[in-house]
Amino acid sequence: MTATTEILETAASRATSPRLRARLSRFGIFLILPALILIGGAVSSSFLSAGNVSNLLMQIAPLGIVAVGQTFVMIVRGLDLSVASMMATAAVIATGFSGSNNDVALIVAAVACISICVGLINGFLVAKRGVSPFLATLATMILLQGFRFAYTQGAPSGNVPPFFRTLGSGKIYGIPYNCVILLIVVAFFWIVLQRSAFGRRIFIVGGNPITGHLLGIRTDVVTIACYLISSCLAGTAGLILSGYVGLVDNWVGQGYELDSIVACVIGGVSLKGGRGSIAGALAGAATIMVAANEVLLFGLPIQVQIILKGVVIVFAAALYAG
Amino acid sequence: MTVAAAAFPTLRNHSGPLGVVVLIAVVCALGAALTDRFLSLGNIVNVYEQSTDLALVSLGQTLAILTGGIDLSVGSLISLTSCLTSGLINGDPSRVIPVVLAVLALGTVIGLLNAGLVIVLRIHPLIVTLGMSAILQGTTLFYAMGPIGRVPRNFNFLAYGRIAGFPVGATIAVVLCILIALLLRYLPLGRQIYAVGDDDDAARLAGLRRSQVLLLVYGASGFCCAATGLYLVARFGAGQPYTGVNYTLTSITPVILGGTALSGGRGGVIGTLFGAYLISLVNNLLNFMDVSKHYQLIAQALIIILAVSVYMDRRRTA
Repeated sequence: MTATTEILETAASRATSPRLRARLSRFGIFLILPALILIGGAVSSSFLSAGNVSNLLMQIAPLGIVAVGQTFVMIVRGLDLSVASMMATAAVIATGFSGSNNDVALIVAAVACISICVGLINGFLVAKRGVSPFLATLATMILLQGFRFAYTQGAPSGNVPPFFRTLGSGKIYGIPYNCVILLIVVAFFWIVLQRSAFGRRIFIVGGNPITGHLLGIRTDVVTIACYLISSCLAGTAGLILSGYVGLVDNWVGQGYELDSIVACVIGGVSLKGGRGSIAGALAGAATIMVAANEVLLFGLPIQVQIILKGVVIVFAAALYAG
Repeated sequence: MTVAAAAFPTLRNHSGPLGVVVLIAVVCALGAALTDRFLSLGNIVNVYEQSTDLALVSLGQTLAILTGGIDLSVGSLISLTSCLTSGLINGDPSRVIPVVLAVLALGTVIGLLNAGLVIVLRIHPLIVTLGMSAILQGTTLFYAMGPIGRVPRNFNFLAYGRIAGFPVGATIAVVLCILIALLLRYLPLGRQIYAVGDDDDAARLAGLRRSQVLLLVYGASGFCCAATGLYLVARFGAGQPYTGVNYTLTSITPVILGGTALSGGRGGVIGTLFGAYLISLVNNLLNFMDVSKHYQLIAQALIIILAVSVYMDRRRTA
């Protein structure tokens, strides 16, 4: 039994050289995504229609924003399960006021406050108390859920202010507003991660926290900052998603915690930390949405979407493992 | 060294069931102070009975976590098995026994499949079981989009029946827990679960059969999920495609409360059982205090945060 698995394992590792594997895990997604788009265009004529493309972009934007935050957390060896709960909380707050544009500043301030609190709690538990990220963010997820239910008494009501409706589903020169926001977020955080000293520190802390510590890096501060980025981006994505959906229940954003992790994993962000890119995570998010869109366009039953997601997770991870 | 660490030195050293037993005592004292019905026999049996589903599913989860892994497919597997149970029985008493056996076997096989993927593809169990969870949920939705089938009336014996005054389902969970505890303590394979969880590489170098350990652990977890699915069908009278969703994450709470380290290698199932009782007890107490269901979630999250903050002693090594 053991011998068999050992043979299998060595065979698996020999099948692809380490260098090829490393390349695949970094750039594989940039082959998969175009392939999916080509297949979509070839099979269904409506896939590349202007309407479908802009619809797709609108769906990609919230997930892309969350995935950018998730990337930061995963690079420092973490995982943020609280993002979906944060999104739903932001959405509930967006409808919690009069529903007119007068309250936009108030809503943004409230969401910012809660996002910062959540990020600080997550970061504190992980960096200062040594709690496993999975558990810490799970706890804040349940906590937020509880506060949300208590706040809405189980039945959220009210309207999304027109300002967020525009952000979530409006267009400027044919380009959805939420995509513009996504691009700004991506550009800003790409600079932070790839071109700033702080970004370098993030990679060092993720690659080897002890090295980071010995280099004089405040590893706890870096870790907490990453959780802050993640929860704040989740809050932003929640506001945008509430504008896209237009109505709010307690579960807006449900599934985004796992989807954003999947986007990162298939985009080459390592679960073990220390490795990953924002471009990869964004391509991962796009892949998920394109695949989901194609399942519907090809007339396949909705269940296929869910199963496909599972298969993609396992195979992408298998491709990159090692 | 933090304040909590200084205040509870024994609690931190005994990261086993002791902490959760102390918490149970505290909750009991609080409850007794609030209302004299809280510690009545009827209410205690009630709490015991209501812990069944959580106890069953988190027993399997404990094993997975002891090896340093996690089983995120439990929720979908519970949904799938519960739908299959009521859908296949469909009110026919003669089919009950074969279907129950088949469902338990199916749960075990899916658990083994999880382990097989972990071993062969060399992926972290978190990813494998997450993927499996989506696959199973999709499959469940192919089979049933809403509540499906029904079970004979006396099938609810599993959930509401009593033997000598003891609720059946909850007692099955206790028996299962004792069996697993004995296995962990006295069988070589049980000891090896701890070895694999504590240091995977060292276990491999020592010549331990890692793949057998993983097969056992995830197989057992799948079996526990199937048992939970059966219990839920007995309780609600029919399987539903989303009945298990919440268990994926809630099954982890009793494990952590019971003192099992999420990094693996430390803990046990007895603590988990008490963890499930603690949650059931707290929910019961909050019901007595007329606190709405929404605040019960907050209480649960605060308990988790409290528990992990007190237990975490092996920081940096995890």
